[in-house]
Amino acid sequence: MIEAAKTIPVVRGAFREYYFKQARAVEEPGKIEQREFGYAQFGQAGMTRHLSFNSIKELHAMLVKEVPSDVYCSNAYYKFPTQPMQEKQWLGADLIFDIDGKDLDLPCVPSHTYPVCTNCGHALPPSDEKKEYSCPSCNGKKAERVSIPCSKCIEGSKKEVRRLIEFLTTDLGMQRDNIYVYFSGNNGFHIHIGDSEYVPLDPQARSDIVGYLSGTGLLAESVGVRKGREGNMSFIKFPRGGIAYGWRGRIADKLKIDGSSIIKLKHIVDQKGGYAGFKSELDKMTREMGVRIDPQVTTDVHRIFRMPGTLNSKSGLAKTRCADLESFNPFNDACLLGGNKVNVRVKTHVKLKLKGEAFNISKESAELPAFAAVYLICKGLAEAM
Amino acid sequence: MPVQLMTSNLSSIRMGTGDLAKYPFLNEAGEYLRESGFGWEELDRPDMKDIIDRAAERIEVGVGGNIYDKLEKYEIEILTFIVSLIMVKSIGMEPVLKKYALSEARRAEEFLTQDLKQQSEMQKHSLFAKIFEDLFKLKIEVAEDGRLFKVRVADYLARSSHFHEQEWKLINRLVQGGHVYLDADETVRLVRNELSVLIYEKVKAMTLPTLPQAIKVKAEELRAKLAPRYEYRTSAVTEYPPCVKHAIEVMSKGENLPHSARVMLATYMLAVGKPVDEIVMMFQNAPDFNEKITRYQVEHLAGMKGSRTKYSVPSCEKLRNENLCFATEECNGIINPVQFGRKRK
Repeated sequence: MIEAAKTIPVVRGAFREYYFKQARAVEEPGKIEQREFGYAQFGQAGMTRHLSFNSIKELHAMLVKEVPSDVYCSNAYYKFPTQPMQEKQWLGADLIFDIDGKDLDLPCVPSHTYPVCTNCGHALPPSDEKKEYSCPSCNGKKAERVSIPCSKCIEGSKKEVRRLIEFLTTDLGMQRDNIYVYFSGNNGFHIHIGDSEYVPLDPQARSDIVGYLSGTGLLAESVGVRKGREGNMSFIKFPRGGIAYGWRGRIADKLKIDGSSIIKLKHIVDQKGGYAGFKSELDKMTREMGVRIDPQVTTDVHRIFRMPGTLNSKSGLAKTRCADLESFNPFNDACLLGGNKVNVRVKTHVKLKLKGEAFNISKESAELPAFAAVYLICKGLAEAM
Repeated sequence: MPVQLMTSNLSSIRMGTGDLAKYPFLNEAGEYLRESGFGWEELDRPDMKDIIDRAAERIEVGVGGNIYDKLEKYEIEILTFIVSLIMVKSIGMEPVLKKYALSEARRAEEFLTQDLKQQSEMQKHSLFAKIFEDLFKLKIEVAEDGRLFKVRVADYLARSSHFHEQEWKLINRLVQGGHVYLDADETVRLVRNELSVLIYEKVKAMTLPTLPQAIKVKAEELRAKLAPRYEYRTSAVTEYPPCVKHAIEVMSKGENLPHSARVMLATYMLAVGKPVDEIVMMFQNAPDFNEKITRYQVEHLAGMKGSRTKYSVPSCEKLRNENLCFATEECNGIINPVQFGRKRK
């Protein structure tokens, strides 16, 4: 959270200018009157929830007046969105997915992750060392690991998005133009599904979708490998529907088998050390081939979720619709703040590229355009002077 | 003599009385009875004793977890079914009703499966597809190969996600192009629950007339026989499930346990009746332990604070998705950690 007395007005000013000039970028959700809204404010803990707006204009007015640090909207539809949770009367919820770069365990991450002391805000340059953190300034023992995502991080997340879209369009038969992809505003992507078929599903059904997409719980029997009578014995019997499609098809492709390869599959199973060995190999394969989505986001049907077109206070970037995922560059396309010059104290040597401009800041004080200054302040790597 | 179906969108289809014998819960069965001018008082006639005995047997078999498999002439079947409903209502025990409704559903399920498998009779085929749509709002199509059936993924999930066997998880089904492919047995299994709800609700919605003496006596007899089965039984927990053991182990080493694992540990301990004080102390090795906060959180989960909602222990499926499941052989068949070691074999 941004706290310093001089810093908040700078960030808030830049956010206000954005909401004032570019209010149209904030997307109107379908059935706006049935949604619950919430927002957080600069320098304040907690969130204001259970709000409702009858039109996008009302919401725009709130944005300019309050200048929230973060704005959220329910994926759920309620009869009474402003009532306490138990009395809202849930009517359904859009299906949503969250792919977060930080969950992907990418090898590049340590090289652009800065420890920032949670006590005094002192920042250190990235390091590969695994030793315990100790703040050189205040001796604090806890640090927040702040990452400035690099192009590899974004590419890593995009890869997951592509994989998700592949599952959704082939297996689940969704129309590509019903799948809305957004950059989250920091280090990942949010996927909103416009297909009303999924709206009534309860958390359990959504959890089953998560299991499907992430590759959890595929039985060896589903690809034709069955447990024999004794311990680790096995025999092959393909399921009635065959193994040509869906997960079965994916595994069959990977193992280079088809519905007639009884002997070949038996051979593979024996090679892996029987039923149990094959099962653990299968678990490994499905985990690698599945999509890494946050299970909580998809299964929670009462969540308020970052609103498309609003700014993310972890970066100052906007949650932005990706019309074309391949060419989408968040550091250009989601960097929408203005360019007024701001003087900042930069806490450690940082490199970044925003709006096509490369910044390599080694001096302690610097004059930066607002979009870059706000980005570093939001990351906890700079303060306004 | 075929009976005209009353439902408008099925009006062009005629259902044989043989079908009514198999599916006596269809509105048409009651309709048939009304048309035949049958009256309650007739049940006190000595020759009705057979029907009442059949009804009692049907309930007893059902409550015992089995399926009443006699299939007689439709007049007898429809009457037996209706007398069974009346008796279950008059017994007035929730578990009896639930078990009975489930067994009726399973009985119908067997007939439906047989009927669906008769592939050559295309007309029959579409008739049953229509029954699914009419009673359960479930659209069923015959797959391209003419052997399997397909339902929309969302329709499938709305029903299957409450089944607990791993093979019903979406990942273990054949899924393609927005459809789940099922064989006849699986298609019918999918609506078993709705069938049972249908029967359950039929009984719930009934208002009993003054019962003929013969039924009253038989129902009382049955109640006396069934009641002892449902006396409250408790069993002590002798061992924790592996997920809970794992969480305790991590905790005791002073390592960090993710929030969701802490919720599982606390809700589990609450569920097995451990006092709040003891639960709070289980977290004392956590690197970020703060007694006040932990106490508030445990009390919150117990429904003593905040929203007053008592939180239940997360299901095995949820734990699996969050990588908190460390299932062993002994977990076999349970769907929630609280069932560990309690499930009757």
